[in-house]
Amino acid sequence: MAYGRYALDYSLSTYLCDLTFMQIINSNKKNTLSWLWLMVLTVISTFIGLVINNKALFIASVLFIVFLKGQQIIDIFMELAQAPKFWRRLLLGYVTLLPLVIGFIYIL
Amino acid sequence: MNHSIHSEAELTLIGITNEKTLEKRLPGDLAMWFFILAELTVFAILFIGFAVSEQLNSAIFIEGKAKLHQMLGLINTLTLITSSFFVALALNAMHAGDGKKSAKLLVVAKLVACVYIAVKVWEYMSLFEQNIDIETNTFFTLYFMITFFHLMHILLGMVILTFIAVKANKNEYNASNITGFEAGASYWHMVDMLWIILFPLIYVI
Repeated sequence: MAYGRYALDYSLSTYLCDLTFMQIINSNKKNTLSWLWLMVLTVISTFIGLVINNKALFIASVLFIVFLKGQQIIDIFMELAQAPKFWRRLLLGYVTLLPLVIGFIYIL
Repeated sequence: MNHSIHSEAELTLIGITNEKTLEKRLPGDLAMWFFILAELTVFAILFIGFAVSEQLNSAIFIEGKAKLHQMLGLINTLTLITSSFFVALALNAMHAGDGKKSAKLLVVAKLVACVYIAVKVWEYMSLFEQNIDIETNTFFTLYFMITFFHLMHILLGMVILTFIAVKANKNEYNASNITGFEAGASYWHMVDMLWIILFPLIYVI
């Protein structure tokens, strides 16, 4: 019985260590992909004005990219994708509502 | 290793129902998150104020934006994103229990942030040489106010990163005591997120 308990505890701790290790590897991959995506979005938002002549569409595109970038930072870098929903929604609400308000000010 | 030795019932007995249950927590201190919310609110007011002022004084703002270097804004955005990326990697290294690696990654994050500071200072100096300062017009009043306020946050963030890097190097963080590290990292990501809104507002639109 005691040996069985030891075996369970040992293998469980090893399992959790292994789980944590895999999570860190996955997290590093996610961070790297997110970083590359953020860099690409930044360059696109800087030069998007060269291909979009319509002012409203240009502003909407740039602000939509702000939302996409904000979402990446909140979910991946801040790790709020794994946090309680309230905090994730609060931060995502910020990067949704603020660009919307700014967009309305510029476009209307 | 064999993961199947634990049935779901066994894991439930010790309070682990699934992977999501293990991770469902807010990183860092709750107090830091309230501080982050307060900071985001202040910047939201500044950003909306900037947009409204631009609509009221569009000629001044068009002229003012033309005097800024968009490429410098782009470089600064890329540096802050990269710095934030290294902070995220540093947190992962700390979660893995590698304090030395974590501290090194934080140093890299700070060095990248130094590029941001150098570019910002160069941009300010360049404007001062053209006799442009905070009193020139409404655009430059808001430009200097918002960007300088943001720069102050960068400097505070660098102090926080230095503090957590020193602690990480001494391996003072562990699985049950990592909230301070997470809080500092979250603050840095917030500063990055604010610039992501600031950059298109001042340099692109």
